[in-house]
Amino acid sequence: MGKIAVYLESDLNNNTLSDVSYELITKARQLKISAKEIDCENNDFEVVGIVLCKNIDMDSVRKAFLAGLDYFVHIKDESLDTFSQNVFSLSFMEYFSSNPCEIILFPATPYGRILAPRITTMLDVGLVADCTGLELIKKNENIMLAATRPTFGSELMATILSKKNPQCATVRPKTFVADFTLGSDDISNRFFEYNLKYPINETRVKLLRSFFEKEKNDVDFDNSKIILAAGYGLYMGKNPEYFDKLKKLADKINAKFGASRKVVDLNLVSKEYQIGQTGSTVSPDLYITFGISGAVQHVVGMKNSKKIIAINSDEKAEIFKYADYKIVADAKKIIDELLGYF
Amino acid sequence: MNIIVCVKQVPDVDDIKWTKDNNLDRTNMLSRLNQNDEWAIDYAVKIKKQFKDVTITALSMGPMQAMDVVKYAIAKGADKGILLSDKLFSGSDTYATAKILACAISKIIKDYDIVLTGQIASDGDTAQTPVSLAQMLDIPDVTNVVEIHNADKNAAIVSQKINNVINMFEVSTPCLIAVKKPLKETYKPKIDDYIRAQDVLVNVVNAGQLDLKREDIGIMGSPTMVYRAFKPEFSKNTVEIKDNISKQIVELMLKVNE
Repeated sequence: MGKIAVYLESDLNNNTLSDVSYELITKARQLKISAKEIDCENNDFEVVGIVLCKNIDMDSVRKAFLAGLDYFVHIKDESLDTFSQNVFSLSFMEYFSSNPCEIILFPATPYGRILAPRITTMLDVGLVADCTGLELIKKNENIMLAATRPTFGSELMATILSKKNPQCATVRPKTFVADFTLGSDDISNRFFEYNLKYPINETRVKLLRSFFEKEKNDVDFDNSKIILAAGYGLYMGKNPEYFDKLKKLADKINAKFGASRKVVDLNLVSKEYQIGQTGSTVSPDLYITFGISGAVQHVVGMKNSKKIIAINSDEKAEIFKYADYKIVADAKKIIDELLGYF
Repeated sequence: MNIIVCVKQVPDVDDIKWTKDNNLDRTNMLSRLNQNDEWAIDYAVKIKKQFKDVTITALSMGPMQAMDVVKYAIAKGADKGILLSDKLFSGSDTYATAKILACAISKIIKDYDIVLTGQIASDGDTAQTPVSLAQMLDIPDVTNVVEIHNADKNAAIVSQKINNVINMFEVSTPCLIAVKKPLKETYKPKIDDYIRAQDVLVNVVNAGQLDLKREDIGIMGSPTMVYRAFKPEFSKNTVEIKDNISKQIVELMLKVNE
């Protein structure tokens, strides 16, 4: 029997699991189901969730089972009440050395992205970052994890295999959807506690202090229903006034103003408004582009918007491929007209 | 104090060209210094200005063309340069790359206090190599760094920003710091700096000099392998709005705000 392990991320403050944990459990369950279809000797897998923390909220454990876990392992110790990824990785290794598995999925959250390469390097195995697709394939009589990810500024997709077990991948939040009908919440004989034998005492990195910093000019795109995004097309004629006009329009209709990398690089709009691969990733109900051509590095940051309206004077602009509504027009003129309505 | 700055030459992702059979056209691609690495150099130079006796070594791995980014780092203020270049290195994934860098650091540079890197490279976009490198060197790392408050022989005090939380750490040296925010002022080298950089001899190192064999590195030594690569296709049912454009936009906006 093979094992697919899911590294579960818990919140230090309230001991609950993060949403991406359930998303990964469901994906692992789907992989387990798909493995049965593969004509191969070892096509039977268990899905094991592993969390490292001092305490765990039992409602989260039940939810994890509903999302598709077979077993839940709570690695426990006082020392795990910490920020230190070094402590987590070494503690994980202690457990793993006596409980190996074939596949490990990690969340590609900021902490997950620090922890996963530490662990895989300790194990001398590979790691595929930020996967958007995971499937099992048969190769050389073995079942292998085929992990697909965007690369080269999302211009290229690559499917990557790992030569050695455990085959490891990280996955960004909201890539997969959690399904709480896949498992049962019967916990008996499926929930295990593992007490660390060799807790780690972190001496090399000391946390001096930790605080919230909401920069004055941080733009909060998360709670915006509408985003109006400015592109280089608004600068045709070398007049920057339309960036301010679009900002004004956004204020009037309670929308957020955003921008493409090109206008940010030209200092026409400040960096915090940038949407795209090196800026913010957004998914509002309505995203309207004004004079944006649709470079892939921009598109990856906005393509999950529920509705997209694209305005560009070039009818062949790439952005129209991603649009629900295509408008071939001078975006500047449209801004003037819209300002007339509000 | 000895600082190592890792720099990477990356293709300009705004200038990607494709061959007829949907492969990346690497021969005609423009290259540049990875943006985060420019910031790493800036931080190193800032530390050098604060203390006497700071030596900065710029370290890169890549084809001979990557000499450009090593020379650029020297023009910005690095004292020495090392370019790890060998056909055997090509095809290395993040693990194999970290192995080669770790090998060069422990065999050639030996004595160091801080390894500075950019948080992420714009081509691979994984942010894995710095952490892997720290693990192989068996040193602590702090990534996602937005400020280096102080750095001396014994310890560095840095601020890490993750989501909206700032964690301020004291990390003992030797350590690795990966930065993800530019300094307020970045130094753009002048002609004089480039002339000075020309006279600095960059140490070009191959696999043999690091005692690395074909099976340790490159495609063979990488624990991952590319199974297939393809251009993403995307299609959507798009409706074109031709008449009463603004009015229709306003209606769509109002629908959302209902």
